[in-house]
Amino acid sequence: MKALWGALIIVAIALLAALPWFGSDVLVQFGINALLLAVLAQGWNIIGGYAGYASFGNSVFYGLGSYGVAIAMVQWELPFGVGMVFGVLLAVAFALLLGLPVLRLRGHYFAIATLALSQVMAAIVSNVGIAGQNIGLVLPPLNNDRLFYELALGLLVIATLTIWWLTRSRFGFGLIAIRENEEGAAVMGVNTTLYKVLAFALSGVFSALAGGIHAYWITFLDPESAFDISLNVKMIIMAVFGGAGTVLGPIVGALSLSAISEVLASEVTSIAGLFFGLVIVAAVALMPRGLADMLRRFRSSGWRYFAENIRAHRL
Amino acid sequence: MDLLAQILVNGTLLGGLYAVMALGLALVWGVLNIVNLAHGAFIMLGAYASWYLYTDLHVDPFMGLPITALLMFALGYGLQRGLLNLVVRAPMFNTLLITFGLEVVLTYLAQLAFSADFRTINPPYAGSSLLFGPVVVPVVRLAAFGVAIVLTIGMWLFLLHTRLGRAIRATAQNLVAARLYGVEPRHLYATTFALGIALAGAAGGLYGTVSQINPYIGASLTAKSFAIAIIGGLDNPLGVIVGGLFLGIVESLTTLYIGPTFADVASFGILVLVLIVRPSGLLGKTA
Amino acid sequence: MNSSMATAGSALLEVRHMTRRFAGLVAVSDISFALAAGEILGLIGPNGAGKTTVISLISGTLAPSEGEVLFQGEPINRVPAYRRARLGIGRTFQIMRPFPGLSVLDNVAVGALFGHGGGHTKLKEAREQARASLDFVGLGRAADQRADELGGPSRKRLELAKALAMQPKVLLCDEVMAGLNHVEIEEVIDVIRKVRAQGISVLVIEHVIKAIKSLSDRLLVMHHGEKIAEGTPDAVLADPAVIQAYLGKKRA
Repeated sequence: MKALWGALIIVAIALLAALPWFGSDVLVQFGINALLLAVLAQGWNIIGGYAGYASFGNSVFYGLGSYGVAIAMVQWELPFGVGMVFGVLLAVAFALLLGLPVLRLRGHYFAIATLALSQVMAAIVSNVGIAGQNIGLVLPPLNNDRLFYELALGLLVIATLTIWWLTRSRFGFGLIAIRENEEGAAVMGVNTTLYKVLAFALSGVFSALAGGIHAYWITFLDPESAFDISLNVKMIIMAVFGGAGTVLGPIVGALSLSAISEVLASEVTSIAGLFFGLVIVAAVALMPRGLADMLRRFRSSGWRYFAENIRAHRL
Repeated sequence: MDLLAQILVNGTLLGGLYAVMALGLALVWGVLNIVNLAHGAFIMLGAYASWYLYTDLHVDPFMGLPITALLMFALGYGLQRGLLNLVVRAPMFNTLLITFGLEVVLTYLAQLAFSADFRTINPPYAGSSLLFGPVVVPVVRLAAFGVAIVLTIGMWLFLLHTRLGRAIRATAQNLVAARLYGVEPRHLYATTFALGIALAGAAGGLYGTVSQINPYIGASLTAKSFAIAIIGGLDNPLGVIVGGLFLGIVESLTTLYIGPTFADVASFGILVLVLIVRPSGLLGKTA
Repeated sequence: MNSSMATAGSALLEVRHMTRRFAGLVAVSDISFALAAGEILGLIGPNGAGKTTVISLISGTLAPSEGEVLFQGEPINRVPAYRRARLGIGRTFQIMRPFPGLSVLDNVAVGALFGHGGGHTKLKEAREQARASLDFVGLGRAADQRADELGGPSRKRLELAKALAMQPKVLLCDEVMAGLNHVEIEEVIDVIRKVRAQGISVLVIEHVIKAIKSLSDRLLVMHHGEKIAEGTPDAVLADPAVIQAYLGKKRA
């Protein structure tokens, strides 16, 4: 049974990897966006889904990764790879310095603190000379969508493998314990502070790498788009919609919501966003544990699944 | 020195408006534990309601505030009873997400209904100012400040001294307590939320007299309201006055002495500091 | 970690003049006692006496306002909760909080992964250890169920298993018998005796007086945050101060 799943996944990856060769240019571009969003969703999954700390600060890591690559390539004329490493270092430094005080906060206070941090970072970066201030930076162009596609896909595979490793490692168990009952985890021997910061940093690494790829791909960067908070909200919605705390959930969420959004945008441009909002509202009310949970329970409960969710959570 | 005085007055007037903006959010958060990410969108809707009342029906924006508030109260009640009620006992995170979705929906509906143009409410006295020594005080801003303070203190008194107000505060502690006051819990929840939205609407009406409005102002107003509510502290309804004034003055000073682009850095930087050092806010009780 | 064995007569766990205040309320006041190796010490007292606070102070969840906690002769006031767990202090919670998303087995495996000495590093070994602990408390058959599907009495045993999987030297039990019927109480008493037979010292908080009387080597009584009696169960339960503290309360 496990072998069957493994084979299916490898086939899926192979098909996805082959897409640029028989898909249209538009499809490939859609693919890059969707794959990068999936990486972001998976990255968020580590701190939000597994450790249970809903971070609104992953857009900061994304922005740092973008600017790391941009500054390295534009101001110091270093190659892309080095820029990516620089971006990751910035993200990890941020996670360590600011993660420590902020991770002491519980629940929605943590969420708000990270939200505030992202606003602060955006404002700071728009005043820093080396980052091009408000105007932003323009990167050297590289017209190779296929390459970016494969990079994004590769990053997604690595991110997902990391999550899979989490579910069978001591570190991952510690994170889950923290999520379910942090005080209980501490008295059982889990070094909660260390683990939370590590999870935050790890999730930041993936966000930064995604940001770096994106920056090089669209060759332009400014503080408002790099640290855009709506990106963070998107990755949360996608992870939760697909199933936070699962291995494949965020991928499913990201790909499906991207597809829905794309279809709506081309059919009914002006109300695409509206439908997106309605989908979110309906999903949170009817299937709060995400698609993964719904698919699993639908087989046994059928349509009652939705009614049960509502009855359990309403006053 | 004169400039400093002017800045301080500007900051104070702004602070009053900020206070009433955050009041509804703090009420709903402190009592119902609902973190309403759509709060700013309701401020925006209130602003539009006032705009239409003034432009089409010639109702003075300040006189029309009660109407705006009533409309928003009805909207809030319906939304809580019909939608938000569905996630009351779910993990807090679900409320965050559903209110976010609501924000998206409301913004888009506003964009469809009102178009993306910038508008202002310009009553005939909009341009006149009063002079207090060297300090210029626009009449509209002063009026907005006055109404804001009245509303905030009024809400504080309401919560402390009326039966419904006490029932609301009791609910914050314990749902069963609400029943002791003879109020049905779901009605109480919906009423509290509706009050918060009515306040947001009133704040929007005031906002429209001092600043431009468009469908997209919701998100940043939400962020600002959060900062005010937390800095002031959620335990005490008067905290929003402290938070609002503090933020208004800090922003004005920052804009003058450092630069306009740093106003946000200041506000949110302070928010982060408060969260780290004193999460219960400036007026809150330390655990 | 101090590796020297405690000399005969010296305590494994010691609490000296421990006080804890909460914003004007004194929850625990000047408490001192010692727990010897291989001993079962019972801690009783009316509701609100401060018993759970004492356990939280020992396990590291709370820090004392005054006084100190010593483990194996070394003061551990500055040691954070997770390190105390790794030194060998295990506790159960009165308000049971299993990890709901995990299976019963994995709940216990967390204890095995992080417990005494840092626990196991391999998931497989931890799960084996977890199975052993579950069998020990009699929950072996429930290993693969979801933790939040367990009923009340089983949850109490799960709490015990989780703490035991840490291979502690001291076990702090907070009301593991509350809400159980006679048969279940006897079973829990058996388990705790088996725990002591393994060389683990136990501090038991209980309201079921009859049970704790038969179980404990010594008994400690708290009232309004203070220690009001200490000694053998018979002596303590006959103490007029103790009887007065319980006046009007039913004796189980």
